[in-house]
Amino acid sequence: MRRTLRIYRRSLGAHLRAVLEYEADFWILVVAGLLFQVLNLIFLSAVFSHVPALNGWSFPEAVLLAGTYGFVNGLGPLFFEGTWRLAGKINHGELDYPLIRPAPVLVQVVSAGIGMHGVGDLIGGGAMIGYGLANSDIAWSPARIGGALLLLAASATILLSLIVLGNAASFWVGGNHPVFAMTLIRTGDMAKYPLSIYGVAVRATFTVLVPYAFISFFPASWLLGKESAWIGLLTPLVAVYCVYLARLIFRQGLRRYDSAGH
Amino acid sequence: MSLVEAQGLTKIFRRPEKDPGLRGSLKHLVQRRFKEFRAVDGIDLSIEAGESVAYVGPNGAGKSTTIKLLTGILVPTSGTVRVAGAEPHTDRMVNARNIGVLFGQRTQLWWDLPVRESLALLRDMYDLSPAFYKQRLERLDDVLGLADLLPVVARKLSLGQRMRADLAAALLHQPKIVYLDEPTIGLDISVKDRVRQFLRELRQDGTTLMLTTHDLGDIEDVCERIVIIDEGRKIFDGPLAQMKDRFARVRRMRLQLAEPTPVEKLAERLPDVEVVAGDAPTEVTVTFDRFTHTAGQIIAGVLDVVEVGELHLDEPAIEDVVRKVYAGELLRIPEPGPARDAAERSGERA
Amino acid sequence: MRPYWGLLRMSTRRILTYRLNSLILWIGGATFLAGSLAVWHALLSQGEIGGYDWDQMKAYLLIGWATGAIGSAYGDWWMAGRILEGHVATDLTKPLDYQWARFSEHMGGLATEFIAITIAATAIVTFTGGLVVPGPAQALLFAASFLLVAPLKFAIAYITTMACFWTQNFMGVSWAKDAIVTLFSGALIPLALLPAWLAGPAAVLPFASITATPAALYLGQATGWEALRLLAVQAAWVLVLWWGARLVFRRALRALTVHGG
Ligand SMILES: Nc1ncnc2c1ncn2[C@@H]1O[C@H](COP(=O)(O)OP(=O)(O)OP(=O)(O)O)[C@@H](O)[C@H]1O
Ligand SMILES: [Mg+2]
Repeated sequence: MRRTLRIYRRSLGAHLRAVLEYEADFWILVVAGLLFQVLNLIFLSAVFSHVPALNGWSFPEAVLLAGTYGFVNGLGPLFFEGTWRLAGKINHGELDYPLIRPAPVLVQVVSAGIGMHGVGDLIGGGAMIGYGLANSDIAWSPARIGGALLLLAASATILLSLIVLGNAASFWVGGNHPVFAMTLIRTGDMAKYPLSIYGVAVRATFTVLVPYAFISFFPASWLLGKESAWIGLLTPLVAVYCVYLARLIFRQGLRRYDSAGH
Repeated sequence: MSLVEAQGLTKIFRRPEKDPGLRGSLKHLVQRRFKEFRAVDGIDLSIEAGESVAYVGPNGAGKSTTIKLLTGILVPTSGTVRVAGAEPHTDRMVNARNIGVLFGQRTQLWWDLPVRESLALLRDMYDLSPAFYKQRLERLDDVLGLADLLPVVARKLSLGQRMRADLAAALLHQPKIVYLDEPTIGLDISVKDRVRQFLRELRQDGTTLMLTTHDLGDIEDVCERIVIIDEGRKIFDGPLAQMKDRFARVRRMRLQLAEPTPVEKLAERLPDVEVVAGDAPTEVTVTFDRFTHTAGQIIAGVLDVVEVGELHLDEPAIEDVVRKVYAGELLRIPEPGPARDAAERSGERA
Repeated sequence: MRPYWGLLRMSTRRILTYRLNSLILWIGGATFLAGSLAVWHALLSQGEIGGYDWDQMKAYLLIGWATGAIGSAYGDWWMAGRILEGHVATDLTKPLDYQWARFSEHMGGLATEFIAITIAATAIVTFTGGLVVPGPAQALLFAASFLLVAPLKFAIAYITTMACFWTQNFMGVSWAKDAIVTLFSGALIPLALLPAWLAGPAAVLPFASITATPAALYLGQATGWEALRLLAVQAAWVLVLWWGARLVFRRALRALTVHGG
């Protein structure tokens, strides 16, 4: 495990150094990432200047929710960007080399790239979380802080697992582009708003079928003491389940890997 | 037990049978049809430690697929593989440390990274000590001239540079067994020579080598054993010299005659032999079947007609031999030894 | 005219070949649309906001999404790619006007984009029950303005891709452009609901002509002379940006020779 982590870190580090060679590109990407978070914030502030609450969520609470979603989404490009190239790798038979190296294939795949727009998401999302927390009514205690951090880690785990899972579908779907993963992850964008605004079908889907709601809605509900806050505490369990599922599907997919005909 | 042992190795690919266009794709979704294709068909192969084997065959014969099966990239449809006692596709990690692989058509360098970073990543994956790594780099630099390439991003390397860097990447951890799939493809003569020189050194170091190539010049000095496959089946397996001997039936003798002689006169004296006039009136080339005539008979026959100044017997080039094997010309000859069952097998298929 | 027509058809064919890429873009847009619809549905259940009731907002969001879809199939990515990979040199040797050629390709996407828009509109009508239908005059004004969106979006995308003459990475530039366009066009939220410090710039920037103008005409928020004024502003922006793009391009070519291609 330690060895695996070291390989992951080194690989990511090498790609980071390569990306930082182009300073202008780095800044453009960071700003672009940041702009999208700012857009979310502007939307919410414009809406809340006309209404006091959105389905019982105040402005700071809604900002906390969207910020959490943005923050967690920034982790994908920073730490799992390589995953998005899996479809192309499968299609071109480029998993041949990872398969002959003494390191887990998934680690080699996941760490084969880095997207700096994640930095913008982290900054923007982080700032929104900060604002949301500072202006919400939360009874802080050591347990609450610990719980919040745990839930954040779990929610990040869920999203990263979904990224792996969606991209691993490329083993079956084929083609050069991770269409399935894109659809899976982009659909999750709906989770940046309180889940209660959606119809029952969407709510059920986002809770049970694809657990987007555990990325931001349920953890934030727990922290803010919304109704059925206890569901938020299930987030770590959901995370464990997602990791298990993602690994399983990736392994099954890898067994189907057929290389390419040259 | 041999270092590499494969028995009845078979790989069947399932190819989707799809009509062209969007309609075809949709139809395929509903009604999945596949065509089976045997890329590798019951190959037995064993390679001893220290051997160097040339693995040749025409395009699409199944060479690359065999290598992918031996390295554990593909799971065999049936048959078994053992490499140094381990089963490659199940004991992937164990096997990985024993082997080095190069697919000449594809790079294993990370596209966006300088070569140095790629090699450093491999160092981490193979757990090489700093001292060993440094020593290996120096050694590889000696033979491959790596130093200039280290700071360059892989994307910007020329083909020859890339191949040198890729060879270094494949051999960095000093693997026991090295599989090279077309290591000289697309290289110019000087880089090719360099790679071949490198392969010779590798072999002298006692590394076990398996090499596929379409440029038979690659194998001449490097490999003592040649395996020829076609349509997924082995059709010859033996020493290179033996193959030349067995398959090169046709010999060519070039003669410098003492005085101009019409070829008809010679042909009359030498039935069943092809006699062709050379550039000068005193030159002729005689092509004969080694199994029906000896060189001595030919010379004696010519001497009956005219005095001979000089003569030269062409060595059979493996290119010629292999070309004929590919063309299926040489398989009809019933002969003792392993080549025969291959010939019969292929006869059955025809 | 013939060669441009050929480029247009070729572009349509290419988009059909790479339909999956287009699909991804539209799916991204569709979830955005679904999210916005749900948020507004919740918000407007209490009563109207800023003059929009639920029916009007539905139409507004659909128009926002549709104007966003225009030109997305062709994508500035393709144009940018040709510059980044150096094919621009080949393109320049053709006996065609570079800008008209790219515009023809841009228009080649319209067919598929209209299909996507029709699907989205049908979905909205089916799942949310109906859509505001404008009167004949409004419909005509809207159609005219909707047609102007295509060249307008082209000019903006075209100018943005010129950034590739100076930077290697188009992704960031393109996203930044998308963010700005989304905000100032009114696709994010009707411009009337924006705070003053944003509504001010939005009023003078060309982006409002992309979404806010067609929406205002469709919903009948602007009628008579006001409607014609909006259309005129839109047309003016098309011309200004079209000729502005020519200037930028000339500059960019100089950069090209300086960098040595
Ligand atoms: N991943 C795959 N899926 C389907 N068919 C494949 C695949 N890989 C190889 N094949 C088919 O198997 C056959 C053998 O391919 P292989 O790559 O092993 O040939 P080869 O001997 O290496 O040929 P070449 O000299 O052209 O490299 C070919 O007909 C090829 O089309
Ligand atoms: Mg091959």
